[in-house]
Amino acid sequence: MGGAFVVTLREGFEAALILGIVYTYLQKIGAERHYSYATWGGALGVLASVWLGVLVTAFSGPLLDLGPDVIALCVIFVAVIVLTWHGYWMRQHARAVRGEVQSRIDAAQVTHRLWIIGLIAFTGVFREGAETVLFLWGLLTQATSPSGWASALGAFLGLATAAALGWTIFRGGRRISLQRFFAITSILLLLLAAGMLSTGLGRLEAMGVLPQSPTVWDTSFALDDHGFIGGFLGGLIGYRARPSLLEVGGYLVYLIVAGAMLFRSGPAAPRSRPTGGRVPAHSS
Amino acid sequence: MHRRLALLAVGLALGLLSIARIAAAADTPPEIPLTLDKNQFQPSEVKVKANTPFVLVVTNKGAKAAEFESKDLRVEKVVPAGKTVNVRIRALKPGTYAFFDDFNKQATGRIVAE
Repeated sequence: MGGAFVVTLREGFEAALILGIVYTYLQKIGAERHYSYATWGGALGVLASVWLGVLVTAFSGPLLDLGPDVIALCVIFVAVIVLTWHGYWMRQHARAVRGEVQSRIDAAQVTHRLWIIGLIAFTGVFREGAETVLFLWGLLTQATSPSGWASALGAFLGLATAAALGWTIFRGGRRISLQRFFAITSILLLLLAAGMLSTGLGRLEAMGVLPQSPTVWDTSFALDDHGFIGGFLGGLIGYRARPSLLEVGGYLVYLIVAGAMLFRSGPAAPRSRPTGGRVPAHSS
Repeated sequence: MHRRLALLAVGLALGLLSIARIAAAADTPPEIPLTLDKNQFQPSEVKVKANTPFVLVVTNKGAKAAEFESKDLRVEKVVPAGKTVNVRIRALKPGTYAFFDDFNKQATGRIVAE
C-alpha cells in the first residue's frame, strides 16, 4: 500500500502543483469565470493519458516502441515553452497591474490568451498521466485480494493527497498579494521549466540524438534521485544525482537566459517603492 | 514576439531532428532479452558490448504494469502486464548502468558494458 501511495503521489505532485498555480492565477487576475480553461486543459490531459495508456496496452510494435517516447519529448518541450512564456508574461504583468479588477481581466485577455493557461494545465497533467493510468490499471486488475485492494487504495490516496496539495496552493495563493504571487510563481515555474528542459536534453542524449556527455557529479550517496525526497526535488527543481554535462549545461543556460529575460528591469517598469503602489489582494 | 517564435522554432527543430535521427538509426541493432517475473529481473545483470547500440527486449510476465527505468540511461518505459516492449539503448561507454522497476522498487538490475 505504501509503495503505491508514493508512486501516485509523486506522479501526481507536479500536475497538482501546476493546476494549483493556474487556478490561483486565474483567480488573481479576476478571471474566475474562465476557470474552465484550466479545467478543460486538465480534463483533456486526463483523456489523452487514458488514450495513450490504452494504445500502449492494446498494441505493440515499432511505432509504439518509439511513439510514446517522441510524444513524451514533445510534451516536455511544449511545457518548457509555455511555462517560459507564461512566466515572462506574469513578470511583465506584475509590474503593470495597478488597477481595478476589470482592467486586470481586460489586460490579461488582451495580452495573454487564456488558452495558454489551458495548454499549461494540459501538459502538466499529460506529462506523467499515461504512466499513472497504466500503474492504476495494473493495480485495479489485481484488486481481488486484500493486499491488492490495499495497494489500489494506497494509489488513490496518493492521488488524493496530491490533489489536496494543489488545493492547498490554491487556498494559500488566494491570500497573498498579486505581486507576491506572480513573483513566487514565476521563480517556481522557471525552476520547473529548467528541470524539464534538462530532462528533455537527457532523453535526447539517451536516444543518441545528442552526443553523450560525461557525468558532472555524483551525489547519489547523499541524496538519491530514486528516493522520496530526491524524487520530489527532481520534479520540482530538476535535481539529479548523476547529471550529464549537457543536462547541467542546459539547466544553467536556461536559468541564465530565461532569468535575464524575466528579471531584467524593462524601461516600462515603474520605480518601485517598498510600500507604495501595491494592490492589496482582493478578497472574495 | 520574435523571442517566442525563436523559442518555438528551437523546440520544433529539436523535435523534428530527434524523429529524423531515430528514423535514420533504424537499422537492426542486436536484441537482448530481459524478463520481469515475480518482481525480479531475469537476468539481473545484463552484459553488453561497449560502444555498440542495442535493443533491450523487456517482457513483463507479472500481472501488474511495470516501468523499466534507469536514471543512468535516462530511460523510462512502461511495460504493461504480459507485454513486451523494445527499449533502444544508445552505444554505451564501458561501465555499469543501474536499472529498476519504478512501480516496484525491489526489482533492480544492471547493465554492464565492456
